[in-house]
Parts: sequence; C-alpha cells; structure tokens
Amino acid sequence: MEEQWIKSVGIDVGTSTTKMIVSRLRLGRMSSTFSLPRFQIVERQLLYASPVYTTPLIGFDEIDAERIGAILKDEYQKAGISLSEIKSGAVIITGETASKKNAQHIVHLLAERSGDFVVATAGADLEGVLAGKGAGAQKRSQAIAGNVVNVDIGGGTANAVFFYRGKAIATVTFHVGGRLIRLDERGAVSYVSPNITSWLTAKGLSVRAGETATYAQLQEIALQMSRSMLDYLSGRERQISGLLVSGQQMQEVIPVEEFSISGGVGALMHADPVRDLTEVSRYGDFGPMLGQMLQQVRERETYPFRWIEPEQTVRATVIGAGMQSTEISGSTVHIKPELLPIKNLPILKLELAREEWENPVRLHQEATSVYELGLRLFGSSTAIPFALALSGIGYCSYALLQRIAQELADAYKRYFSESKTMVVICETDMAKALGQALFLRCKGAPEIICIDQVRVEYGDYIDLGEPISGTIIPVVVKTLAFDERA
Amino acid sequence: MEQQLDVLVDRVVAELQKKLAEMGKQTPVQAEPALVMQESEDLIDTAEAEPERTAHVPHPKWEAGLQELLESTPARIGVWRTGVRPLTRTMLQLRRDHAAAVDAVYGEVDQALLDEFSLFTVETQYDNTENYLKRPDMGRILNEEGVRLLQERCQMRPQVQIVVSDGLSASAIDANLRDVLPSLLDSLQSYGLSCGTPFFVKGGRVASMDHIGELLEPEVLVLLIGERPGLVTAHSMSAYMCYRPRKGIVESERTVISNIHAKGTSPIEAGAHIGTILSKMLEQKASGVKLVL
Repeated sequence: MEEQWIKSVGIDVGTSTTKMIVSRLRLGRMSSTFSLPRFQIVERQLLYASPVYTTPLIGFDEIDAERIGAILKDEYQKAGISLSEIKSGAVIITGETASKKNAQHIVHLLAERSGDFVVATAGADLEGVLAGKGAGAQKRSQAIAGNVVNVDIGGGTANAVFFYRGKAIATVTFHVGGRLIRLDERGAVSYVSPNITSWLTAKGLSVRAGETATYAQLQEIALQMSRSMLDYLSGRERQISGLLVSGQQMQEVIPVEEFSISGGVGALMHADPVRDLTEVSRYGDFGPMLGQMLQQVRERETYPFRWIEPEQTVRATVIGAGMQSTEISGSTVHIKPELLPIKNLPILKLELAREEWENPVRLHQEATSVYELGLRLFGSSTAIPFALALSGIGYCSYALLQRIAQELADAYKRYFSESKTMVVICETDMAKALGQALFLRCKGAPEIICIDQVRVEYGDYIDLGEPISGTIIPVVVKTLAFDERA
Repeated sequence: MEQQLDVLVDRVVAELQKKLAEMGKQTPVQAEPALVMQESEDLIDTAEAEPERTAHVPHPKWEAGLQELLESTPARIGVWRTGVRPLTRTMLQLRRDHAAAVDAVYGEVDQALLDEFSLFTVETQYDNTENYLKRPDMGRILNEEGVRLLQERCQMRPQVQIVVSDGLSASAIDANLRDVLPSLLDSLQSYGLSCGTPFFVKGGRVASMDHIGELLEPEVLVLLIGERPGLVTAHSMSAYMCYRPRKGIVESERTVISNIHAKGTSPIEAGAHIGTILSKMLEQKASGVKLVL
C-alpha cells in the first residue's frame, strides 16, 4: 500500500452554534521500500462544511440531543457520505455547553449517530488547541519560527492557545463570549453569566438580569472585557483580568509575536458597526458589541504583538476537530484488530533516564510504582485501566527489551489480573518488538496492544481507531497537559 | 633555461614568505581566538570512542535551530572551517570513519558471537579478501567443503532458513546480530513458523542465497548480511529475503530491509518486522516486487 485517503469528521456543538465538516486525510508512505514502513498524514482536504446552525436547546440550559441528531443526519446526506466511511474525527462540545447537564448524553448519542469513529469530548484546553490549528496559528508559528497566539471566542468561552514553532506550549480559557450577557432589542437583559460577576465588580461595572442596559453601558463592558483579556495574554495586568480566567491561571508571561482571534466573535470583528441596541442584540446577546470593541482595541491601542487574520473564524474549532485532531501511529505495531477501536484511555507514563532503564533494580521499582499508581487511580477491572507510555529508552537492545517486557508483563499480571487487554505506547520505533515480547510472555492473557511514535503526556487521554490497511492506527490524543487539575 | 626559472620561482617564494612573516608580526591576526582554541582541543578529543555529534560553528545565530538540523541528518554539517579548509577535528573524524570502513571490510566476525547462536561456518569460493573484492561471482558459490557441511548438518526443506554472512562488513554482524536475530526468532515463534538450521557464511555475497536455496530448498530464506560500509556508519546490516531461492532468480524477486543499525532502522524492530514479511511471503508464495506488503 503506497497511499490511502481516510475520511474524517468534525462536529462542534457550541454554546450558541453547531456545525460540522467532512474532510479527507491522505496517508502517504514516508519511508523507502528498503526501510520499515512508515506512514504519515501528508495532506488534509476539506470536503464539506455545513452551514452554521443555532444550537438547539430545550429550555435554557439543556441541549436538544434529538434535534442535533436530526441536523447531523441531514448534513451527512448533503455531504454524500455514509457513516461506515468515516474512519476518524472528533466531536467537540465546547464552551459552557460542555458543563450543561446533558453533555454526556449528547456525546453518546453523537457517537452512535456519527459513525463508529473516534470521539473526543473536549476539555477547554483541547478545544483551544484544535481551534488554533483550525485558524492556522500552528502553521504560522512554524513559518515565523516563533510564538503565535490564537484566541477562539465563541458564545460561552474564549480559548487561547500559545504555539511556539508548531508546538502548543500553553493554553488558557477565559469567561469571555457573546452569550455571557443576553438581551433583547430594547436592551432588557435576560441573563448575565455568574462567571463574570466578580470581574464586573472588580472593574466597577454593573449589569444584571431584569435590568435594561444602555448602549454605552454594554460598550464599556465589552471594551473592558477585550482589554482585560489582552492584558492577561500579554502579561500587562493579571490581578483583575485573572478573574475572567476559567480553571488554571497561566504561571508565566510568554512573549507573543503574532496574535489572531477566531470563533464567532472573531468573525464579528469585521461585521458592520452596530449603532444602536437593535443592532447590538441581533443574536439576542452582546456578541456583536464584543466583536466591535475588539476591533476598536486592535485599531487604536498598542499591545506588544502583531495582529494577524486567522484562516478560519467561526469554523476554526470544527475544522481543527475534523482535520487536525487525528495522528497516526508508527506502522510496525503489535495489535489485535478486533479489539479496536478503544476510546478514552487515560495515560500513565513510565519516564526514566537511559541509565535507569538499564538498571534492573531501578526498573523493577519504577514499574511497580507506576502500576501501583494505576491501581490507585483507576482500580482493577476487566476493562483496560490505562495506556502505559514508555519514554526515555533511546536505543533498545534485545537484552533490555526482554527485561522491560518481563517487568511490565509480571507487574501487569500481578496488579491487573482481571484485565483482558494491556495497552503500551512507546516513544521510539520499537512497538512490534516489544509487543511480541509481551505477547510471548502473556499468551493472550492479557492481549497486547503496543503502538509507537505517538507523543503523549501524563494526564492525556487517547483514542485508538480501527486499523487502516492492517497496521496503521489513527490516534486522537486528547491533551489535558496544560491543565494541572487533571 | 628551466633551471633558471626554478631558481627565480624559489627566490620569489622565499621573498613572499619573508614579507608575509613580517606582516604577521606587524598586525597580529585577530581572527577568532575561539577557533585557535578549538584546534588545540581537537587533538585531545578525537581519541574518544564515539564523539558526540556537535556543530563547530563558533557563535551560531540560532543554536537550537542548528542543533535540530544536526539531529535531522547524519551528514557532516555545521563543521565550520579554517580558511577555506575543514578543521583538523573534522579531517581526523573523516579519516577515522574511513579507517573504520576499511576495517569493517577486512575484519572478521567474532567467533564467540557465532558460538553464542550456535552458528557453524561455511565458506564461499572467495579464497581471500582481496580476491573477494575483485571477484563478486566467487562469493556467490559455496566451496566444496561448505556444500558438504550443509548437506551433513542442515535440516532439508525447512519452512524458514536463516543465514548470516559477513558480506562487506564483519563489524555489522558484530554490532547487530545480538539484537536482530533473537527478535527475528521470537517473531517466527509468535507466527508459529518453523526454522531450519541457521549457519554463517564467510565471504558471502547476496546471491549466495541462490546456491544455498538449491542445496537446502527452503520455502523462504533470509540472509542477514553486512552492508558495504560508508562514512556514516560501518555497522549497517541488511536482511535479504526470498521465496524459494534458486539459481537464476532475478534481483527483483528479493525483498530487502536495509540500513539496520543503532542509528538507522531499529535492529529489534527490524527483526520483528522480518518475521512479518516472511509470513506474508509464505502466505502469498512470492517475494520482491510481486509481494504485497
């Protein structure tokens, strides 16, 4: 097999809008015929993009799963694809929607109705990374060999990601979004998100549900909110602006070279100016005003970075989810195809220095303690408790391979005797050799899945798709690495 | 006439040298003191076994970038220069690598290693290394003693026949056999394939597998053989595989995994993958370009 296309889908159910895309990814052989096979995703094409739908809600805070299902069914038909064709992709339930009470239900429903592909329920970190990729910030950071920040501002949250030379190095999430303040054309405020109350107070601003807001009042709030977010990202001020941060605060100030804003509010930056309350409230919230104030800040104020246009605005997240979420593992692996796909495996990491791998006593201690940690965190059951990621081995001789396999197999059988499958992820190209060494020791109890050349960190979750052409495994790494709470 | 000219040239050169020496005194050359220092360090450093690959550019504008480039290729980049010539360090490294390549060709595989895997030795008609290099054809046929040994000691018509040969690099076998061969044997075991009597061929060429194929008639044969050494590594090994090897087989019917060494194709992973390829050959009853991997 020299090359192959796979279909990948992205679905983004956001606080205010829902959209989907279909893309195809080309797997190409990167190695010569005289080497071990190695495939990579060499091209990503957008095949179909749905219109932007208003996210259907039942009442105030419950997503209408049935109607989302209907939209998707309709869109699949329009795109001309059947569910069985889809090999990979991601569902992202974004922003405030993710904390809505039926998010979990939606994920299951989507998994059933959108094909048996890899499904990701995003945390805000992954969402920010995917939006940044969809907006082209990752590519840009490679091109300029520097730091590029993209903020995807939607209805409920703003997800910022810092890319340095193609690598996501930090993320931060703000309570900044269009639907945090909802109002009608007369300015009657129906909802103010409780997440921004403390920030409003600290800023000496005020807006409450049941009141009638003036144009000037909303303008001031939007302006201050824009400034706060930019102050935080540039490191200019973080005391008050930090009140807008959802979850983990950033520890350091990272100098930013280029900056872009994507998402629905990003698109509104270029809309016609809103002149009165009727125009402000055209979507029933203050999003248009927020977009306008961001544009004003961009034009009139000086922040220490260059503003650039994102490649995508309102569809950045969905395009990132559909086109950029999938990686593939090394092509010499040890798997049992009928066990795949496997979803939502937490990562445990066995990361040792070269000398520690070589030291049998140390290896034994470390292997034991990582499994004990696994047992404490995930318990023992017949399911797969976690994927063990091995790191730092470097060159692996056959003798070392045997020692590692023996330790891992022994300890696994001791701590997870009921588990039917063991999943190991290696950093370097050694999965087939390690997989077979484990297989010869375990003889099917447990079964072995061993893949390599996928970078994961402690705290990540991983989805393994069905193999393509027997040995190529699509992988979605759901990174939570920037989030210390995980 | 000629003599006069020579004398003249000598005089001019002597004059020039004198002038240059004077100029040197008047304006002491400020050119990069770091360089001079590096040169003197070189003489000590090169005695080490495997020097770290570092760039010698004195003040790189972007050090991390240079390091990434260095990691992306085994080629000699970032070597810097003195005038228009390479540094002594670079030159010595180059000559050292060249010497290692020569040693690999003229060296012999460690007998202890062959004993470890119970490999007995047969020879081709190569006679001696000089002749081996000049007469590739003689490295493709076993000598009479070799033929007799195979017939005496080897299992006939095995499913898989493993053969090891020094080829053009004995050190490739020394460096990689301990990792590749057991990994390959594990792989055969997990695929449930049976293996004949492995042995070592001294002075072998790739096509010696044809002659061996005639003699033992294995279903598939894998030859682990030392590759022509280069300046990047002298320890690179190849695995040539063939379905029903026999006289008159064409090169396109051989499958190969090459560049097996610590810094190339991973030896343990190669060993495991060779097992997969052999099992596919048995399934499809084909090898080389006809084999669908």
